[in-house]
Amino acid sequence: MAINVGYFLRESVVNFRRNWVMSLGAVITIYLSLLLVGVSMVLGVIVSEIVQSVEDKVSIQIFLKDGAATEDVEALQGWLLADAMVDTVNYVSKEDALERFKEEMAGSPEIVENIRENPLPASLDVTLTDPRQVQEMVDKIKVNETFLKICDRPDEPEESLKYGQQIVDRLFAFTRIIRLIGVVFVAMLAVVSLIFINNTIRLAIYSRRKEIGIMRLVGASNWFIRAPFLLEGVMQSLLGAALAILTIVAVQAAVMPRLQEAVLFLPVDVAATTMIQLALVLVVAGVTIGLLGAGFALRRYLKV
Amino acid sequence: MISMRGVEKYYVPNEPALAEVNVEIEAGEFVFLVGHSGSGKSTFIRLLQRELLPTGGQIIVAGQDIVRLKNWKVPYLRRNIGCVFQDFKLLPNKTSYENVAFALEVIGRSKHVIRTQVPEVLRLVGLEDKMESYPDELSGGEQQRVSIARAFVNRPPILLADEPTGNLDPATSLGIMSLFNRINKTGTTVLVATHDREMVDSMRKRVIALESGHIIRDQHRGVYGYGD
Repeated sequence: MAINVGYFLRESVVNFRRNWVMSLGAVITIYLSLLLVGVSMVLGVIVSEIVQSVEDKVSIQIFLKDGAATEDVEALQGWLLADAMVDTVNYVSKEDALERFKEEMAGSPEIVENIRENPLPASLDVTLTDPRQVQEMVDKIKVNETFLKICDRPDEPEESLKYGQQIVDRLFAFTRIIRLIGVVFVAMLAVVSLIFINNTIRLAIYSRRKEIGIMRLVGASNWFIRAPFLLEGVMQSLLGAALAILTIVAVQAAVMPRLQEAVLFLPVDVAATTMIQLALVLVVAGVTIGLLGAGFALRRYLKV
Repeated sequence: MISMRGVEKYYVPNEPALAEVNVEIEAGEFVFLVGHSGSGKSTFIRLLQRELLPTGGQIIVAGQDIVRLKNWKVPYLRRNIGCVFQDFKLLPNKTSYENVAFALEVIGRSKHVIRTQVPEVLRLVGLEDKMESYPDELSGGEQQRVSIARAFVNRPPILLADEPTGNLDPATSLGIMSLFNRINKTGTTVLVATHDREMVDSMRKRVIALESGHIIRDQHRGVYGYGD
């Protein structure tokens, strides 16, 4: 077997060099498609991290009327915590609310200065285990009796609730579209790469048809004849995958710190384990494309 | 060694390339297959190599029913059959030595086997001085010797030759035929398709004559034919 591996490698390299223009074309298309796969994976990770961080901020605020009885507040808090949909409940007093408001408005001191007495209500900040259930939870809260008793505006209980259902909905729609576009592009490029590899292997087969004829004549086994061509397809796609991985790593190293600087409030960091997974995915995808493309060509153009 | 029973081959319906072919060739025989162009000689040879499958009938080569042979086993059948062609089929970018070595290399023989067997077989065909020559530096006869060396280097029990002297002058052809004779003497079954009348007449071997796909004569110590 040791002789065979050396032989196959030598043959593949010779094939590659004979048709280096076509081979280069194949490598470049695989490179581009895998690069796109990689970039869309990285973007996917970043987007879902952003969605996550926004979701974390999606909470239900229940505004309480001034002077609400402590036991009522505690009862409501207890009722909320008992619900499976609720993750945390946080009591924010009138003073805390004012502090927060002052911090947020630090840019416009004239507003802060004009506040004579505290106009802000106390509130309960509720976060949910699944942010998509916001609407459901809100509907539940609205009919709770304790809530109706101590809410800031008993005449219009609706107004005592603040929540970000729309933000969540839009974000989900947006990420779905992004993912869909990514998948379509990647699929198209994968097809182009397949065609390219198919063509280079066809040329390689054509340029070696005499050798192949003699190999069949003297009884070289079918896989012995096929192996160098399959190996050539795999080598082309591995080369493309390697280039794609290098590019993504380089771009990440160059761009990420600046991006992080520009958008401080959002997390755009990609973990090292994610990068390793990405590299693995690209290599596996590349080898699959290479084997498939070469396999098609062998089926069609190499009768053994 | 070779047995064909009721073999027929149609490329187009109702026009047999071969029909009602019944032939038994024993191990160690030397057989000429003669006939005009289009009489079915090449079809005959290609059926034995399993390049083609017959439309009907049974073919046994080296103990194997090659009609029922699975595709992946065909290469192993071919290792038992050496083949020589009119156009030599040598690789132009390889020397004589490399051309012969290639045949062993691609069936996975070790380097040691290659280094000992290739020079030996090239000596057998009388090309020990031309081992490093490329095909275009060799005469037609010498190229055919390289191709015979390649066919025989693996010591197959059967050697098939399709018009091996078709491109060669009579004197050179004689040399090639005596080479086949020597190979036959080692116990190899040799089947030569040819329309070289003088050759067939001078060798006095078994002759199978084909005409439009039918065997019209099968004669031991035969001659080419009675004039045509």
